[in-house]
Amino acid sequence: MAETKKVLIKIKRQAGPQEPSRWEEFSLNWRPSMNVIICLRDIAENPVTSSGKKTTPITYDSNCLEEICGSCAMLINDKARMACSALVDHLDQPIRIEPLTKFPLVRDLSVDRQFMFDSLKRVKAWIPIDGSYDLGEGPRVSPQVQAKGYPLSSCITCGNCLEVCPQVNEHNQFVGAAIISQVRLFNIHPTGAMNKRERLEALMGPGGVQECANAQNCVKACPKNIPLTESIAEVNRDAWKQALLGWLLG
Amino acid sequence: MSATASQSDSSYLLRKLHSLTGVLPVGAFLAEHFWSNSAALVNAPKYDEVSRDLQTIPFRPIVEWAIIFLPMLYHAVYGVYIWLRGKSNISSYPWVGNWLYVAQRYTGLIAFAYIGWHLYTERWLTHGRSTYATVASDLQNPWYLAFFVIGILASSFHLGVGIWNFLCKWGLAATAKAQQAAGRLGIVIGVAFGVAGILIVLSFRLNWHPFASYYIPK
Repeated sequence: MAETKKVLIKIKRQAGPQEPSRWEEFSLNWRPSMNVIICLRDIAENPVTSSGKKTTPITYDSNCLEEICGSCAMLINDKARMACSALVDHLDQPIRIEPLTKFPLVRDLSVDRQFMFDSLKRVKAWIPIDGSYDLGEGPRVSPQVQAKGYPLSSCITCGNCLEVCPQVNEHNQFVGAAIISQVRLFNIHPTGAMNKRERLEALMGPGGVQECANAQNCVKACPKNIPLTESIAEVNRDAWKQALLGWLLG
Repeated sequence: MSATASQSDSSYLLRKLHSLTGVLPVGAFLAEHFWSNSAALVNAPKYDEVSRDLQTIPFRPIVEWAIIFLPMLYHAVYGVYIWLRGKSNISSYPWVGNWLYVAQRYTGLIAFAYIGWHLYTERWLTHGRSTYATVASDLQNPWYLAFFVIGILASSFHLGVGIWNFLCKWGLAATAKAQQAAGRLGIVIGVAFGVAGILIVLSFRLNWHPFASYYIPK
């Protein structure tokens, strides 16, 4: 058998938010269909750098391994993407892995995406169905609305759209494309539409939909191919109509 | 990026106003300005007639400040504020939209600097009484010529991309297909303005009047 093929991978390590960062390089045995998560697991099994130095396993988030949970977003060769669907054979080596930069770091590759969950709460990204009595059946959802809503509902809150957005940064509280797209999803739903006004008002506050500057990076980076720029345009239209016509016509 | 950091609640209104002023009145004024100046392509007397008509608009200072200077100043100053609060990442994500995002900021700054200088030389120094002769003599200076060309191209680019941004950001072009069409419209407008502007400059510089035969003396 020929000499085992190697995979070179460099990982940015940081023990905590206030700790200094450093790079560690690993040389792993290549296997077919290897993805970045497999590399991180292999390192955890045998945490030794390519120079033979013993180190600690890498901290990272991952769960479903099939682009459904949204937890393993990271920078892979300088691009925000899901580690589970990043196949080693398609990546230039040495593969460089860094944590997302737009969220507070927890440790190594693990970041805290609480900002997104707070934003979802702020815009009421849900459909209220609870009452003090049985509210009965909701209105029918037309097949057209279902077809429009389905791709929007596949958002996994991975944060890649925020990571690639030039308008999301420390000077700016922009909620980002994912949250705006969720507002569209719940606003087109006939029951959800009952809270349309509150959602739009929340999105006209600081860091709201107006902060989009149309670089359109979000739609390119979305692992779920959600039509994010369409969502932003539609929510933008609803927002100014409400701001203008709400004031004019009540 | 903390959810609690405070920021003015009027940011929605101010931001929308920035976007709107770019098209109306600033973009519309640019169209009017190129339209009026295209009289140079007819001949010097026609240009001076058009320019006299504009100089004799009733309430001229109010019209100029309300429709041209203040909206432009607001658009520029708030535009710089938007620029400062963005963080471009073109090296990691060299996509077309991202390039336009960056270019929109630089062309805006160039256009603003150019317009300031243009106002000073063609409006202030001539006491609001520019004629074909004053512009033509300015354009004999190669530095003036170069700055005119740069300013016209930057303004035209900024308007073309701005129209695309405007149509997307107000949801007037919402679907991916409509946004593509809006992009093509922006290209057509940007190129048309760039070409028209350069032709006008050449007309002054070379004393070139391709439509001189259209002229009807008063």
